[in-house]
Amino acid sequence: MKTIAKSRLNELLKALDKEYNILVPFKEESVSKFVPWQEGVDPYFEENTLLPPKDILFPQTEKMYGFKVKDKSVEIEELTQEKGQQIIFGLRSCDAYSIDCLDKVFLTKGYEDGFYRQKRENTLLWALACTKPQDSCFCESIGIDPREAVCADVQIYDLGEEWGFTARSAAGEELLQKLEGLFTDKDAEPLPVQGFSITVDMEGVPEKLANMFDHPLWEEVSRKCLGCAACTYLCPTCHCFDIAGSVKGGQGYKFRCWDSCMFSEYTRMAGGHNPRPSKKERVRNRFLHKLYYFVERYGQLLCTGCGRCLAKCPVNMDITAIIRKIKEAQQQ
Amino acid sequence: MNEISLQMREIARDLLSKNEVNLVLGWEKGSHWYKSAPLFINKVEDVDRLVFDEFCHNNLSKYLVDLAHHEAKVAIFVKGCDSRGINRLIQDNVIKREQVYVIGIPCRGLKDPDDAVGKKCGEPVKDAVKCQECRYPNPVVHDIMVGEQVNATARGQETAALIEKLEKMTQDERYNYWSRQFECCIRCYACRNVCPACSCRECIFDRAVPDWLGKANNLAENQFMHLTRAMHVAGRCIECGECERACPMNLPLMALNKKIIKDIEELFGENDAGIDPEKKPPLGHFELNDPEKFM
Repeated sequence: MKTIAKSRLNELLKALDKEYNILVPFKEESVSKFVPWQEGVDPYFEENTLLPPKDILFPQTEKMYGFKVKDKSVEIEELTQEKGQQIIFGLRSCDAYSIDCLDKVFLTKGYEDGFYRQKRENTLLWALACTKPQDSCFCESIGIDPREAVCADVQIYDLGEEWGFTARSAAGEELLQKLEGLFTDKDAEPLPVQGFSITVDMEGVPEKLANMFDHPLWEEVSRKCLGCAACTYLCPTCHCFDIAGSVKGGQGYKFRCWDSCMFSEYTRMAGGHNPRPSKKERVRNRFLHKLYYFVERYGQLLCTGCGRCLAKCPVNMDITAIIRKIKEAQQQ
Repeated sequence: MNEISLQMREIARDLLSKNEVNLVLGWEKGSHWYKSAPLFINKVEDVDRLVFDEFCHNNLSKYLVDLAHHEAKVAIFVKGCDSRGINRLIQDNVIKREQVYVIGIPCRGLKDPDDAVGKKCGEPVKDAVKCQECRYPNPVVHDIMVGEQVNATARGQETAALIEKLEKMTQDERYNYWSRQFECCIRCYACRNVCPACSCRECIFDRAVPDWLGKANNLAENQFMHLTRAMHVAGRCIECGECERACPMNLPLMALNKKIIKDIEELFGENDAGIDPEKKPPLGHFELNDPEKFM
């Protein structure tokens, strides 16, 4: 394993910074998120970030194209900015798994989303192995290994006094080779993962949900939901968006922005009809999407066990408690 | 289990078994020892889930907006701040007093669940900021009271101190301060959805035609949203602090609300929302001698 003393991390980031835009976890007051690294930005590795790295690849608001009206014709202006290569440095296994989910959504099944692809192709993931699960973490129950991230180009390990690095892709290997001079080669054992305080048994849940669309459970679990989007906007995998435009005089642009299935107007149709008229239908949709529809379409759960939703929901909607209720529910 | 929780269960059991109500709104323990969550009970078997502890933050009066047309009487547990929400909803004709059976709980102030993260049950936890300046720990409306009355004691004044700091700033400094806050907003609407003063059937922010508020997340739209909301709840905000607690980005929304309350008091005299249901809200009516500084 290639190692570097923790006190020398800046040297590594500086070397990477020459060719890459590096995004590191950073905490300011009570909010932690990924920010561009520069000299003076002290990365925050104590716990996972409040905001997931989702918006790096799928921004909350993203301009798609501009247009100008000239006489009787319309001129379309491409707005995709060519950004350089970037590295998401220090994301956890849960968030790496979420990027795997987003890859499946935006790049497979016959349609490639150009906006996502452009950013994803130019992004390397340097994942950090978790050693200390937070109070709301349950990634292991989802089948995620906190020490080995999917899609990682480089896996980073906490060795106590040092950071250890192992390449997990050809691109990662090449980059580590290039930076050879900074590292010491060493046999090292990564710190073990401490216990999880939340565990949940996922066995058979997607299969059972296939027959629970009309189950009274949804009425019960949705009652306290306020219908805000704290859960979906903090979720690393939620990826719904809306498209709108801004027009000023003869010109404007189209943009897409995050939307949430928890909002009542999310499914409101032009004529005013809403096929998901109440909290029950909306909450049901959210959990069926995460735990059943996505599994059916892509063969994996759309939940990473990061625990952000249950930590930040104003009414403590707890996905693990709902999974337990699904397991206990009598088939109708 | 604490004495108040046990009494709550007995009251709920009694009300449900005698069919005086068919729904009870209370709290139960949530995912962690420092999380308590809203609980809806319609079966006697469930009353033993009820608890009251220092993490029962949710102002349950918000749910009455959805239950305005509920078929029977609803019982609701309220702390001092929450009870002001009941009066406000009655005042706005959202609910009628006889639709609810109000069970008051004098509140000694709650703890900050974010400060408890990573701690073991029993370790010291900071007081919730929203409770620091509480002036109404005892419910102002109730059919029955559980527990002893408590005296209002200030436990800090972080919000008041922030308002003072903001007042001393120049206009540009203040604009920059709030711009930095609103830039962080993710527009999840937790602040609006948790607020008992937000009881519009259709919120202006949800209107598609005309789209008063654009869907893009940028400073201009976010600012428009927060200032509109602040002005809309002005004179009706009951200071429960739920907006600020619910905000995942920790925006100091109560500084905005309390500054407006302070200004209203300066202009129209003392006006604590939700205390006296007979008294008209300061911005909901006019008097001929109202100050007209802006004219």
